[in-house]
Amino acid sequence: MNDTKYDSNSLLRKGGTHIDSKMKNTLRTTETMAHTAPAEPLTAEARPIQQHQRRNPPIAGELAAIAQAQQGDGASFEILYNMHKRRVYSLCLRMLGNVAEAEDLTQEAFLQLHRKISTFRGDSAFSTWLHRMAVNVVLMHLRKKGLPLVSLEETLEPTQEDGPRKDFGTRDLALSGSIDRVTLERAVEELPPGYRMVFVLHDVEGYEHNEIAVMLGCSIGNSKSQLHKARMRLRSLLRQKADGRADA
Amino acid sequence: MTTKATDTPKECNEFQQELPNFFDTGEDQVEHPHLKTCENCSALVRDLEYIAAQAKLLLPIHDPSPAVWENIHSALLKKS
Repeated sequence: MNDTKYDSNSLLRKGGTHIDSKMKNTLRTTETMAHTAPAEPLTAEARPIQQHQRRNPPIAGELAAIAQAQQGDGASFEILYNMHKRRVYSLCLRMLGNVAEAEDLTQEAFLQLHRKISTFRGDSAFSTWLHRMAVNVVLMHLRKKGLPLVSLEETLEPTQEDGPRKDFGTRDLALSGSIDRVTLERAVEELPPGYRMVFVLHDVEGYEHNEIAVMLGCSIGNSKSQLHKARMRLRSLLRQKADGRADA
Repeated sequence: MTTKATDTPKECNEFQQELPNFFDTGEDQVEHPHLKTCENCSALVRDLEYIAAQAKLLLPIHDPSPAVWENIHSALLKKS
């Protein structure tokens, strides 16, 4: 239920950074929670937060924008959108491999953010919270389409390419130092959807296997297996690309 | 580091069957006995570690089109 007032005038107001005393209190509370939260046992839910915070450091002005957006300030919500749009969209695009769908779901993720931002309490980094929301939006979308999140074919019938025997007797070509990020990005795009999903969630986004298993409705072993096959497939793809460059 | 005659494909096969769990043990993978003698499996592990390391460095490089914010803006205005 959305109980946040959306002020259409404030949306058009750029750089609205005035903070009244009520907002200052909210901001102080949020900052205090972020910096002095008591140590808690690391649950499956909380454990990845540390990794996400390391990879998603706080952005200057984010806390103020959150506090004001929680009060219904549209300009602050737009600031949050501009801070996080690239990361959320890239996540959606990597998971889906389709520009139109990625844009639709980016839109849906931010609309959901607007509905739920008042519930953000600062227990985790805002970016962690938002990215998890975006992941759930994508997974929900795929479930609605009836697409398996983990491909049975990929799970049960590994190809020769994925199997370990391929590496027996092959020449020793170390990838280290031979690939750039653009090449890796393109190779990730070529992964089958089931492999790509686990690879993006684990290796790119930093989720752990227990979390991925819950998200995708598969076993932890299955998540590990899919990730391994994804990396093996990437190795093969990257070798092909390296060979192509060498032959050119 | 060379592949000894004792490092049969069977040993490589057994090692590579364990690979999905290999990277989650928290142990120093280089210390695995098989890797001390098998160049192929060592190269494989190095490549997989390299891919995982590079993936962590992938930056969000794509921006949504301006239409995305316009749609969000319109939807929020309708709600209000």
